[in-house]
Amino acid sequence: MATARPVGARNPVAETTHAIRERIRSDRRLAWALALVVLVLVILLPYAFDPASPFVDHCVTALAYVVMALGLNIVVGFAGLLDLGYVAFFAIGAYTAGWFASAFFATVNGGKGIHILTGTLAGAQPGIHLNFILVLIVAVILTAIAGILIGLPTLRLRGDYIAIVTLAFGEIVRVVAVNGQSIHLGGTNTLTAGRQGITPIDSPELPGMSAFSPLDLRPWYFTALVLVLIVVFVNFRLRDSRLGRAWIAIREDEIAAASMGVPLVKTKLMAYATGAGFGGIAGAFLASYLNTVNADQFEFSFSIFVLAMIILGGIGNIVGVMVGAIVLSFVNVWLIPDVLHDVPSKLGLNFDLTELSFGIFGFLLVIMMVLRPEGLIPERRRQIELTEGVGTDEALFEVRS
Amino acid sequence: MEAAALPVRRALRSSVGTAIRKFLNRYGLIIALLALPVYFGIHDLVNQHSLTHIFENLKDGVSNGAIWALVAIGYTLVYGIVELINFAHGEVFMIGSFVSFSVWSTIGLTLTTGALGVVFGLIVTLFVAMIASGSMNVLIERVAYKPLRNAPKLAPLITAVGFSFILQNVGLEWYGGSQKGVDDLIRAQTDFFTIGGVHITHADVLAVAVTTPLVLLLAWFITKSRLGKAMRATAQDPEAARLMGINVDTTISATFLIGGLMAGAAGLIYALYQTTIWFFQGFQAGLIAFTAAVMGGIGNIWGAVLGGVIIGCIQQIADDRMGGGTWTAAIVFAYLVLIMVFRPQGLLGEETREAG
Amino acid sequence: MSTEPVPAASASDPGDAVDAILSATGVSKIFGGLVAVDSVDFKIPRGAIVSIIGPNGAGKTTFFNMLTGLYKSDRGRVEFDGVNITNERPDIITKLGVARTFQNIRLFGTMSALENVMVGQHARMRSGLFGSIFRPPWTRREEVDVREKAEETLKYVGLRPALMHQMSVNLSYGDQRRIEIARALASEPKLLLLDEPTAGMNPEESARLTAFMRKLRDERALTILLIEHDMKVVMGVSEQITVLDHGEKIAEGSPQEVRHNERVVEAYLGSREARAVQAED
Repeated sequence: MATARPVGARNPVAETTHAIRERIRSDRRLAWALALVVLVLVILLPYAFDPASPFVDHCVTALAYVVMALGLNIVVGFAGLLDLGYVAFFAIGAYTAGWFASAFFATVNGGKGIHILTGTLAGAQPGIHLNFILVLIVAVILTAIAGILIGLPTLRLRGDYIAIVTLAFGEIVRVVAVNGQSIHLGGTNTLTAGRQGITPIDSPELPGMSAFSPLDLRPWYFTALVLVLIVVFVNFRLRDSRLGRAWIAIREDEIAAASMGVPLVKTKLMAYATGAGFGGIAGAFLASYLNTVNADQFEFSFSIFVLAMIILGGIGNIVGVMVGAIVLSFVNVWLIPDVLHDVPSKLGLNFDLTELSFGIFGFLLVIMMVLRPEGLIPERRRQIELTEGVGTDEALFEVRS
Repeated sequence: MEAAALPVRRALRSSVGTAIRKFLNRYGLIIALLALPVYFGIHDLVNQHSLTHIFENLKDGVSNGAIWALVAIGYTLVYGIVELINFAHGEVFMIGSFVSFSVWSTIGLTLTTGALGVVFGLIVTLFVAMIASGSMNVLIERVAYKPLRNAPKLAPLITAVGFSFILQNVGLEWYGGSQKGVDDLIRAQTDFFTIGGVHITHADVLAVAVTTPLVLLLAWFITKSRLGKAMRATAQDPEAARLMGINVDTTISATFLIGGLMAGAAGLIYALYQTTIWFFQGFQAGLIAFTAAVMGGIGNIWGAVLGGVIIGCIQQIADDRMGGGTWTAAIVFAYLVLIMVFRPQGLLGEETREAG
Repeated sequence: MSTEPVPAASASDPGDAVDAILSATGVSKIFGGLVAVDSVDFKIPRGAIVSIIGPNGAGKTTFFNMLTGLYKSDRGRVEFDGVNITNERPDIITKLGVARTFQNIRLFGTMSALENVMVGQHARMRSGLFGSIFRPPWTRREEVDVREKAEETLKYVGLRPALMHQMSVNLSYGDQRRIEIARALASEPKLLLLDEPTAGMNPEESARLTAFMRKLRDERALTILLIEHDMKVVMGVSEQITVLDHGEKIAEGSPQEVRHNERVVEAYLGSREARAVQAED
């Protein structure tokens, strides 16, 4: 039946996990029950810790990264487009919060500011202040538009060129962010605050939720959780849809896909814009959570960080990508700086491990791609594509124009 | 479906459209490339009544571009043969600079070394740097790309990015996180001669004097030698080459070796030219050189040289005149995007059946 | 010229006024100075079964690719059912009603037979991003319809129901061919292009496929164009044959006419001779 090299044929542990996964895959009720149990645990989790504890803080960050990774998963995992400039959408989402939920544009409306559905805290400040939900919506719209503008000319290129062009766009966005202080928008307003950063950013003020503050991280946690649930829902729905099938088709054989009536650029664009939208949501959330939008956040390495989450977890596998995002997020904010930081000095070596975190992620990428390209929790199709070379890379340039 | 009058208007509109598209296709890139030098040339003529400044920029561009050309050759050869963007190539170039500096420090070249000593020492350094970068590139190919030759094309690109990060961190631990000044062994900014008010410095002469023979040698090698012919055959059709008895694996490794050798030479020139080295220098250099390779027409050595010189000029003008260099990266990347979108086959590239 | 006038095939009106579902005029393709297809004129009468033959490298598949939008032609014009489709995108051409199979089967390997055929209906479906995410009733209904139609089409081409949910890479060559035809049929074409459909089949299978082509034409009101090497199939099924050699059309007509055409004999003989010479070297 399966031509795929059985995942777990090598040792008993892997065999058992494989059997369990098969069981979950074949039994939908079991899958739902498991998902429900996990959800309940995740909801209860912050109550087991102090509301301002570092652990809850790490969890909020991890959840935001899950949103980002699942957004990128639509582009890389589903549509098979390697986007090396995903950080651009993080940046645009974050600047949406910077522009529309802070005192940054202090002189608008004669210094009185513009306030739409804001709570009492933000309502008294100058600048533009939108309700947090509105900020998220604006972030989705702006990033999706940016995604379309970037994608429209570039998505007809061959895959590796797409990767480099997206990288170039990501770098352009970063350079604009860094130099945005010298781009004047009339009056004293500038586009960005460069490396100084736009700060503070409004914390959300939502009815029915307790105050979002650094002292109580639970509202942040639950907001991030809701965003995760949305992106998970969208991922599942897209995967099993007309669009999802078209993405698989494009990924495996562009020529056949086009000949079957799948419009290549439009279909890729939908993946790209959707992925961009979630990058924007996560960006706006993180800007508000971190209370700053700083141009230094938008380095190329961040794009690779998110990509590494997908590769580690299992490219195209929704659960895998979530696991990958959570693992790498904790590696980045907790394991390397808090736990392993003194390992080199104990070994008599003189270097700071945090400096090397991106080398570690790079190493991870190489190791994973060479030894287990399908990731920790593989997606069945992707596994076959990656390990057995199903599908073609043959590029017929003229198809795409 | 259409009214009677419509076809005429449509035909007219489409013929004007095609004419414009044809024109832009042929000359658009050239116009875009000439825009900056021509604009600033006129600017100089009007404001300073002399073209010295723009010529100075272009001269810097050519010598700087010689470095990018050497790096770009590595991209273009490798892409030509395995259709892989060797993303770690910029870091191989960076390693070339780092090795150069440590070699010349080790053999004791300093500012007080005599001219003959410097020349001899640097020739030794050049060899070591080239060998180091070349072997590094072959190592990367063996470890990170070869196992993935049958995987989807994006897989080796991901390992390439991974390797690039690893090497950056190697560089970071080697000479630290900030720019490191190195001995100005050749007195880089001293004039060699002046022509029409344009100062030709030692650095300029060095860049051109090292690059030119290397490129000529390489061009000769590719067209005349057995291995060069094997490389071209493999680039055309690996399967056919294999059937003809060409050892494809060796040929691919040789390609990476040659690309690495060139990057190593570029690394030495860069260190002497800029008198600073930095673990992050490879990232931007890599992207600039890749832009140059695509601009010239990927797979084409002379294209890489042409692209390198052009992008060098653009970069110099941007560095010198636009926001003190803060916008240079964005401008170069904007050119990269423009070229990829409007003329992916580059200046010298031809539309082919496979690559379009 | 040796190019004979197109005879009235099965279409009702004879002579020049033949009702062509597809007509190509002066279509050319040049690859880096090499002329792969040289101003070919070509018409397919509606409802006919038409073949393109020619020695290897004659430009048959290149010509096919221009008709279906995979290549842009350098010169010439292609009209399908009264619409100019010259250099149109492949997905648009498919939507207009042209479907095809490939010389070396190009199924989506990790998809099941059923999913492959569902992708074939892509152009006939409407749900987009919104529909895919929110799955409103009409999207659900569309999915059900598409699935049913895919099953029906697979049954029609003779795939065993047990194989419908198997990953297509795991299926036999013959089944893959069937699925590919089903996938093409799923897009509800008016014109079906088959690129060497009997390649790798034994005479018995070829005969069955030939009969199936006739059945398709009659039951589904299709026009069929095929590229074929097997002369038995070509002569048996075609109402009109066009011969390409070195990118040029050298003959056109009924099987009898083509069979006795001197240039055709020469072209085929020439290539066989060339092969013989190569073998001696």
